[in-house]
Amino acid sequence: MGCEITTRERAGVINPMYDCQPAGAQYAGIGLKDSIPLVHGGQGCSMFVRLLFAQHFKENFDVASTSLHEDSAVFGGHMRIQEGILTLVRRYPNLRIIPVITTCSTEVIGDDVEGNIKYARDQIAKEFPGREVHIYAVHTPSFKSSQVGGYSECVLSTWKDIAKEKAPATGKLNVFPGWVNPGDVVLLKHYLKEFGVQGDIFMDTEDFDSPMLPDKSIHTHGRTTVEDIKASTGALASLSLARYEAASTVDFLKNTHGVPGHQVSAPYGIANTDAMLQKISEITGKPIPDSLVHERGVAIDALQDLAHMFFANKKVAIFGHPDLVIGLAEFCTEVELEPTLLLLGDDNTRYKKDPRLLALKDKTPSEVEVVCNADLWELEKRVKDGSKKYDLILGHSKGRYVAIDANIPMARVGFPTFDRAGLYRHPTMGYRGAMLLGEAIANAMFTHMEYTRDREWLLNTW
Amino acid sequence: MPMVLLECDKVIPERSKHIYLKVEGEDQRDFLPISNAATIPGTLSERGCAFCGAKLVIGGVLKDTIQMIHGPIGCAYDTWHTKRYPTDNGHFNMKYVWSTDMKESHIVFGGEKRLEKSINEAFDEMPDIKRMFVYTTCPTALIGDDIKAVAKKVMSERPDVDIFCCECPGFAGVSQSKGHHVLNINWINEKVGTVEPEITSEYTMNFIGDFNIQGDTQLLDQYWKRLGIQVVAHFTGNGTYDDLRAMHKAQLNVVNCARSSGYIANELKKQYGIPRLDIDSWGFSYMAEGIRKICSFFGIEERGEKLIAEEYAKWKPQLDWYKERLQGTKMAIWTGGPRLWHWTKSVEDDLGVQVVAMSSKFGHQEDFEKVIARGGAGTYYIDDGNELEFFEIIDLVKPEVIFTGPRVGELVKKLHIPYVNGHGYHNGPYMGFEGFVNLARDMYNAKANPLLKLAATDIRGAKSALKEAAE
Repeated sequence: MGCEITTRERAGVINPMYDCQPAGAQYAGIGLKDSIPLVHGGQGCSMFVRLLFAQHFKENFDVASTSLHEDSAVFGGHMRIQEGILTLVRRYPNLRIIPVITTCSTEVIGDDVEGNIKYARDQIAKEFPGREVHIYAVHTPSFKSSQVGGYSECVLSTWKDIAKEKAPATGKLNVFPGWVNPGDVVLLKHYLKEFGVQGDIFMDTEDFDSPMLPDKSIHTHGRTTVEDIKASTGALASLSLARYEAASTVDFLKNTHGVPGHQVSAPYGIANTDAMLQKISEITGKPIPDSLVHERGVAIDALQDLAHMFFANKKVAIFGHPDLVIGLAEFCTEVELEPTLLLLGDDNTRYKKDPRLLALKDKTPSEVEVVCNADLWELEKRVKDGSKKYDLILGHSKGRYVAIDANIPMARVGFPTFDRAGLYRHPTMGYRGAMLLGEAIANAMFTHMEYTRDREWLLNTW
Repeated sequence: MPMVLLECDKVIPERSKHIYLKVEGEDQRDFLPISNAATIPGTLSERGCAFCGAKLVIGGVLKDTIQMIHGPIGCAYDTWHTKRYPTDNGHFNMKYVWSTDMKESHIVFGGEKRLEKSINEAFDEMPDIKRMFVYTTCPTALIGDDIKAVAKKVMSERPDVDIFCCECPGFAGVSQSKGHHVLNINWINEKVGTVEPEITSEYTMNFIGDFNIQGDTQLLDQYWKRLGIQVVAHFTGNGTYDDLRAMHKAQLNVVNCARSSGYIANELKKQYGIPRLDIDSWGFSYMAEGIRKICSFFGIEERGEKLIAEEYAKWKPQLDWYKERLQGTKMAIWTGGPRLWHWTKSVEDDLGVQVVAMSSKFGHQEDFEKVIARGGAGTYYIDDGNELEFFEIIDLVKPEVIFTGPRVGELVKKLHIPYVNGHGYHNGPYMGFEGFVNLARDMYNAKANPLLKLAATDIRGAKSALKEAAE
């Protein structure tokens, strides 16, 4: 059937799907080890983003602010950049990376971030001879792009600053999954291990799910080190799993250091995962291991129990990050769910031409409506005026009231998912992710059947 | 004892002016931390911005008002789903945020047209809503968009709507406190006196500085109803826009949060001659004292005594059950400012709890005067505390429970210290008599949580305590 791609017509936004660029940059910045991102802007620009991360992961992450006050807005915030950097370096002796993330206010004021960083570097060299701290600007004015572009921009700026030299060949594979959960990172590591492939996941956020330990030590931080980033220039190849969050850094490694770059569809669902594994096999020359064929079979076996009995003909509205939304729509078509409404939430004009979106229309029996630059009011309006009927909502917690008020079952997926416990721990990517998401969808539907007394007796014998 | 220079602050020695350890015999004449001062960049301060002080804390509470944020998307996204202030109309205030979604071209060419369009769209999309707050943010203030002119134009074209403008960008002031101030003063100057309330009781008051966190306002409302007092306006818990325009017709202003909302009470006195009466709504003895003060103003002391007696009979035994178990507990309070002085003496008097450290994000001199007067010796009083300082203070005073926000709560969890949400509460409301029993219960449950003992057990060493007990 068809696929209609439109754009939000209203000027204003009611209930945004994405946060602003600096928020995305901060998410990338905390994925680095021994790093404290320094946000050059008002204090709210970091305080609320830290709270957002804490809501999603139930963990605390360190992000600093230059605490822009009125005088800086008038006379410029130069001294506050320098002072912020130096305060961090002086108080945190193990600190090795400070991404300096700009915001709307400091971009409008036009502070010379690079110049002030240079001054701070000179000062550090005098005060701490021999100590290397990577400090670099990440330009993320909030009035451009969104958290999606901000994430990408911070990863790219990090590589541009740290991965300057071509490292000796490592034989390893760089994997850039984009903005994903620790559960996805663990899954990707597991795949590489099963393959017998050495590789690094950038960013390595596995420890965003961190323990309470008897010795009270705190391990809540990214694992991607300066050394990992430097060595990435000597890798066998780079793999981007997210067109809008990871591709730019893969391109950088290719263009600057000659590391072959590969873009695959985000591995949501069975076929996309197949393609990723085949790509890894092709790059490394290693066969796809039996263990992953087994995992694939387990996932398909589980989904087979759900697809034509419960999922078929169900119309689904999906919102979230672009690579996730498109990937989930593709997953839906594998399990007989009908992706009916896809919401992509910023002004990136490339989404419209995404080949995966264009290919969707051949895969689904229903009409697919894609709204670019969308807000969640686009979803709520369609639900409220009854013009469209949705049987399921797939998206993050910011859309929870659409589901609650309209009494539509909703499976939480993406970022943030603060109104459900522990989701960040589970993968959405890969076979296991597809299986877990399918089961989460089924269980949301089953609970809904029980609460609404809608043929709940079906499950008496299932 | 002089002001304290912590180990982590050796490189920023000016921090010692913000941290005070009270010793026996001292009072606030001797030492008072500097407060409401600029934050040192890069310290990992806990402060937010002035915009959030206006939107998130005060304006966004109103249950019938669109909150239009004129700026890039983040300012709206970030001040949404971070508060627990329900309303009796289905939580309209918590479900939605509105943004003009400013992009680069609007920054370059001005955003007034976009604001006008966004305002009209919002009213069109939500036709039942006729009231709106419009906020500037950092970039729209810097480019000088005239939001008042836009609001005026829309109001002239749509006679059934009313719009209030709050010009308080994030960089104004040093913390969220500036936003409280700006909103208070703008509101009284522009909106109070433009609606006449229906008076239904001979006793009328405004209840100021309470934001219906987990139903605080609604709980206290039961008391005012039983006392026969009409609340003309709630500033702003479960409140409406038009109620707040009628504040000038109350006989008395009762103030709970003096920091966020004392300004408007002072102005109501100055401009309309309405007296201001400050009370503490947390804690048994404070709540009873507050009710007595209010009733004595109206000359209805007997009603007040009856209410207090009924409430004590109902809730005091439960409070005492917890007091017995919480006696001597060491507590830390790391919140915004006023809760330090609201809570330190009430937990001591009502629960026997000892507050050993307090940090305020945005308190002013008068907040520190109050808290140091009410608080004990051996306690740290910190202005704008930061993460490394918290670690050091924890080592020094070893709190058993910390009342703070969820993010810091996640941090101290790793140190095996339970937190109770000091902003949005765990399971509130916490105001009033019933509310303070809730607070005591949450504190007790936090402290009694067996997981903390398990977390501290190293299974590689001696047999675990639980196993031994079982054998």
